[in-house]
Amino acid sequence: MPHVHPPHPAGLHVRTRLLAARIALALLALPPALPADDGLAALEGFSYQPPQPGTYTLPVIKPAADGQVIDHTGQTRSLHDLTRGAVTVMSFIYTRCASPRACPFATGVLNQIHEVAGARPEFAGRLRLISMSFDPENDTARRMSDYSRWARERSVPVDWHFLTTRSATELNPILDAYGQAVNRRSNPRDPQGPLHHTLRVFLIDAEGRIRNIYSSDTLDPRLVLTDIRTLLIESGTAASPTAG
Amino acid sequence: MQSILNDPHPHRIPSLPALVAGLGLLAFPARADETCMSPYMPRITGQEEFVYVWTLGDESIGDGSDKLVTVGVKPGRTYGQVLHSVSVGSRNEAHHGGFTDDRRQLWLAGLETSRIFIFDVHTDPARPSLIRIIDDFAEKTGGAVGPHGAYALPGRVLIPCLSNTSDLGGRTALVEYSNEGNFIATHWMPTQSDPRGAAIESVADGYGYDARVLPRKNVMLSSSFTGWSNYTMDFAQMVQDPEAMKRFGQTMVLWDFHARQPRKVFHVPGAPLEIRWAWGPTHNYAFTASALTSKLWLVYEDADTREWQAREVADIGDPSQLPLPVDISLSSDDSTLFVSCFGDGKVRVFDVSNPHRPRQTYEESIGRQVNMVSQSWDGRRLYFTSSLLARWDKKGEDNEQYFKAYRWNGRRLRHQFTLDFAKLELGRPHHMLFGSTQLFK
Repeated sequence: MPHVHPPHPAGLHVRTRLLAARIALALLALPPALPADDGLAALEGFSYQPPQPGTYTLPVIKPAADGQVIDHTGQTRSLHDLTRGAVTVMSFIYTRCASPRACPFATGVLNQIHEVAGARPEFAGRLRLISMSFDPENDTARRMSDYSRWARERSVPVDWHFLTTRSATELNPILDAYGQAVNRRSNPRDPQGPLHHTLRVFLIDAEGRIRNIYSSDTLDPRLVLTDIRTLLIESGTAASPTAG
Repeated sequence: MQSILNDPHPHRIPSLPALVAGLGLLAFPARADETCMSPYMPRITGQEEFVYVWTLGDESIGDGSDKLVTVGVKPGRTYGQVLHSVSVGSRNEAHHGGFTDDRRQLWLAGLETSRIFIFDVHTDPARPSLIRIIDDFAEKTGGAVGPHGAYALPGRVLIPCLSNTSDLGGRTALVEYSNEGNFIATHWMPTQSDPRGAAIESVADGYGYDARVLPRKNVMLSSSFTGWSNYTMDFAQMVQDPEAMKRFGQTMVLWDFHARQPRKVFHVPGAPLEIRWAWGPTHNYAFTASALTSKLWLVYEDADTREWQAREVADIGDPSQLPLPVDISLSSDDSTLFVSCFGDGKVRVFDVSNPHRPRQTYEESIGRQVNMVSQSWDGRRLYFTSSLLARWDKKGEDNEQYFKAYRWNGRRLRHQFTLDFAKLELGRPHHMLFGSTQLFK
């Protein structure tokens, strides 16, 4: 029995050629779409109906911090610019993670959201997704490009950015500001992977304020889509389903 | 009643089949900390190394201030020893606390002053350091006071409260703060006049105490105790005040957790205190114990109607003798419930394999008074502390102040060691939380 049980154990070190297989596996872990609502079934283990969009509030948790990042082309970008002007769902990941409840799971959920939202005009230009690496020494722009090709080939009006940083010097202030804890495991060849982290996915409104934080226990795509719609209703860019 | 008055290889590339097999784990594991904490945290499944004890200052003991005491419980040289103690320099009616979801911070609350003390427990887990004090809680929350503890949510903490600034009574709220220590939101409890959409079974008193989440069902349960005016009053004086004795909670609330909206107010008389959700992935129920009526209650989702219900399922000792059940601990396999009873100093153990028919199988006298009980994830080790509230603890010789460690073999408890917190000049030990260096390696 392991001494401690992380809720999101980090993954195994893998080669770039396995990335597509990993994403495919994450997608296999998700339920088949059902012909109802957004076509999303409850994930295994979730057993409830999400609330209706706009029937609850999402209090402001904190501002979404700025930071200097690079995209999959190696171009320098400002996190501030990428978290304003549209609702943003931002997931901190690292590509060496293989844990079924951590990064592959989070990327799989974002993929579901990308598919659903990309097919619905209500989200066009109003939503973006970000997958942000906290492993710059391994997750170079080239690696992020390889990792994300399958997603970037999908032509939908919802952007999905795959970001990293040039070094820990640029990364660490971002991790601190978002409260994303990452520890290097004492055994770099640990089958759980070299890094230990808490899964965190952030919902950021168009004004750049964090409005929800999801863990593996709450990262239900139905809930995230409900929250996105709630923010769009709140900002007046979407109609409430309960409006008369 | 009179007796009371005296009172969490090699380098290999995984094969495709192996990863596919791993994906089968998407069903939620039993994801909770050492049997009683937030499911949003990593948990210690093996041997805990430390027990952090939130300790009330006693003006007649040492520096008289509240302290965070680290007790070594890993077998070896430091087993059973006080490893570290941090005084916060004031008395606040130290009560409960909890970790942030990354388990890096420990938030400890004071019921009387509404101060919250935030400790760094990851830099040096054996020697926590005080990094922040929240001392404007009432102002920031819009009048909620008496923070009961802290319950980890993703990136934030949930702080159930006991009272309010308006009348210092039991009407209160659930409060959220960010892990950085910034106020986020206040959610007032439903009342008769402001039910907030909740169905009311009998009464909605607006009282609060504990709050815990079952994420896979998107439900949260809250319980109820009493307000500032009662928990800061001398116990003997309070029990002789008929009006004061009317001011105890008699409700539990089922919430839509995601929306933070109350759905149903159950009538659970007698101050239902601690809430323990079952761990099993199909076990849609929780236990609580009502302190004043000595009843074990089950809150469960009816398998047929899918309606949530609350019902009494057992007596705890002889209710007429006021055993005063104050804390409960459910084993990680949902089979065994430990109930600590302040009134007679006993722990009572129930077989709860059938949650609708709990059956007491064992009891043990822990001390002249006993309050908290904490259990290791593997169920082999239990720890007890003595203090309930500064003004409610027993008097004279009955006022034992201790930390006790036991082993459990499935049938009986075996005492390991006792630390006399009075002789050690530490104070009145209350809430216990487990620590380990392995969490950060």
